[in-house]
Amino acid sequence: MDNSDIPTLDSWIQHLSECKQLPEQDVKKLCEKAKEVLLKESNVQPVRCPVTVCGDIHGQFHDLVELFKIGGNSPDTNYLFMGDYVDRGYYSVETVTLLVAMKVRYKDRITILRGNHESRQITQVYGFYDECLRKYGNADVWKHFTELFDYLPLTALIENQIFCLHGGLSPSVDTLDQIRTLDRIQEVPHEGPMCDLLWSDPDDRMGWGISPRGAGYTFGQDISEAFNQSNGLTLIARAHQLVMEGYNWSQDKNVVTIFSAPNYCYRCGNQAAIMELDEHMKYTFLPFDPAPRRGEPHVTRRTPDYFL
Amino acid sequence: MADSTSIDPGHPVPLAKAILTKGDLVEFQQSPTYSRYMGFITDLNESVRGKKLTDQCPEPQIIAKLVALLDAISKLAEETPPLQTDGRFGNPAFRTFYDKAQAQLPALVSEISQYLGESFGNRERIDYGTGHEANFMAGLLGLVELDLIRPPAYPALVLRVFFRYLQLMRQLQFSYWLEPAGSHGVWGLDDYHFLPFLFGSAQLCGHKYIKPKSIHDKETVDEFAKDYMYLASIKFINEVKTASLRWHSPMLDDISGVKLWDKVNSGMVKMYKAEVLGKLPIMQHFMFGTLLSFTPTGEYDAPSGDDGGPGSQLDDTPLNDPLEHIHAKGQEHPTCCGMRIPSAIGAARQQRQTGTRIPFD
Repeated sequence: MDNSDIPTLDSWIQHLSECKQLPEQDVKKLCEKAKEVLLKESNVQPVRCPVTVCGDIHGQFHDLVELFKIGGNSPDTNYLFMGDYVDRGYYSVETVTLLVAMKVRYKDRITILRGNHESRQITQVYGFYDECLRKYGNADVWKHFTELFDYLPLTALIENQIFCLHGGLSPSVDTLDQIRTLDRIQEVPHEGPMCDLLWSDPDDRMGWGISPRGAGYTFGQDISEAFNQSNGLTLIARAHQLVMEGYNWSQDKNVVTIFSAPNYCYRCGNQAAIMELDEHMKYTFLPFDPAPRRGEPHVTRRTPDYFL
Repeated sequence: MADSTSIDPGHPVPLAKAILTKGDLVEFQQSPTYSRYMGFITDLNESVRGKKLTDQCPEPQIIAKLVALLDAISKLAEETPPLQTDGRFGNPAFRTFYDKAQAQLPALVSEISQYLGESFGNRERIDYGTGHEANFMAGLLGLVELDLIRPPAYPALVLRVFFRYLQLMRQLQFSYWLEPAGSHGVWGLDDYHFLPFLFGSAQLCGHKYIKPKSIHDKETVDEFAKDYMYLASIKFINEVKTASLRWHSPMLDDISGVKLWDKVNSGMVKMYKAEVLGKLPIMQHFMFGTLLSFTPTGEYDAPSGDDGGPGSQLDDTPLNDPLEHIHAKGQEHPTCCGMRIPSAIGAARQQRQTGTRIPFD
């Protein structure tokens, strides 16, 4: 990005902050710029503190705005998002466009990782594809974004201490260096280390287990302890699971789950949370409730084609 | 309870999943089993056209037995209260309930009880979705295949048995906070179910004054929820969701703009084929056995030399009904939607050998 892009990016961010989508041509340009930025990032992207760590958003735009109110505006606050920006919520398009625009504008102030929903296959089932068709009338924007998703880093490492990723550990990965060597620029595979990092879950049982999700693994406290010890880590911060308080310690504080979509799907009644790390790596969890929805959403009513 | 549902001891043959790849799904959609399943759904649909939940209909003994079985399972859930926990959403007491419910089932024909056993949600994930709902219907279809249920009983199968199942599932969803992990969020009809909208719209076909737009009229919904599954579902959603229908259920809101219930109903059938039976993450979990069988040959798997990457032929394979070409929202199929796999045919074979599946969530 050169300086001449800044006014354009600022105007896009302003526009998106009002929950308005960008024209298709601008999305295309944005995704091209974002690819250049993300390509330079590592599979284990180093991040400095202070930084605020966030979990799943799932298109809940108004709650993302609430998150910024609670955590502070970007770029005044540094952010690390651990994936799942799209699907299920009403405003996946606006949410992911805003986060990507912020990334391009403030690339050292915000880190956006890949979640298991940042995938062609998954977005076709769980809403983002449908939403793009509805809002743009064709699938091009979906295509621009899903191509961009291939470039998102898989994990981040805060001050060489806290390892952040969407899902969890992989039986094919013992060291961070092994992650660094993965060729990540591709659709999330069905299996293997890249898939596991985005799909796995911690579990009460020791060792590795077959994940009932059909992808990734479950891992026990013995696994996370060994991984943290051998990589000199204090904590694994991850998202991927709905937790009632917005955050949930597990495995004797070797793992914390953070979920940042309050009242998920308008019904789950869960709080959301973000984890603020100060300049001394001291953590504070900031819980937040759903933002009130005022008036009606500004998406035109349209009869789904099945019913025409 | 077990005695009254003893229909046949059967020979225990475990049901198995058979759909692993997009090619398998395309093949399944052209298979006799698919036709029978979809034929069963549309026959049931026709059988309740214009009928209220409270209407009289022929009820052979098996209907009462099935309802009694669901009552018994509901009682098990009552006897297994959710545990006090923090942390994850789904309540682990569901697993205790689940095991008790499985123990209640084996007196049925093995395959039937396996389908019903798979219809209450996933024990490990503590979640529920349209795939589990499909397993329930597969169990009922199994009873038809065994000639234990005949078409005159179809209205009762929907209005009594399926509706009782729906109530049981609402109970379980509430009690154990089953995670809506297969949910399309605001872009679906409901976080858990599809068929109440399909059968429910059939019930309302030709109704004198309840129109699709009547879902916005609270009095109508409240008064007629006892008669019509569609309205019962709207009522339920309004009760459990926050903000307005337009916010949490734009699809239902959009559909309320359709003039006639017949159009809503035919749309639901098309949508069910495309959005449930046409989606690999759902159908990869569908179980097959001897009553409902399917063995993929691999003939629709990726041609050699295709890496399955962006723009590949594999990606263009229509996942929806291959004869009708109904795609999501009826638009063109995305040109780029597959997952990169190591090498064409090899990947499909490899998947069969390792049993790796495409993720569900």
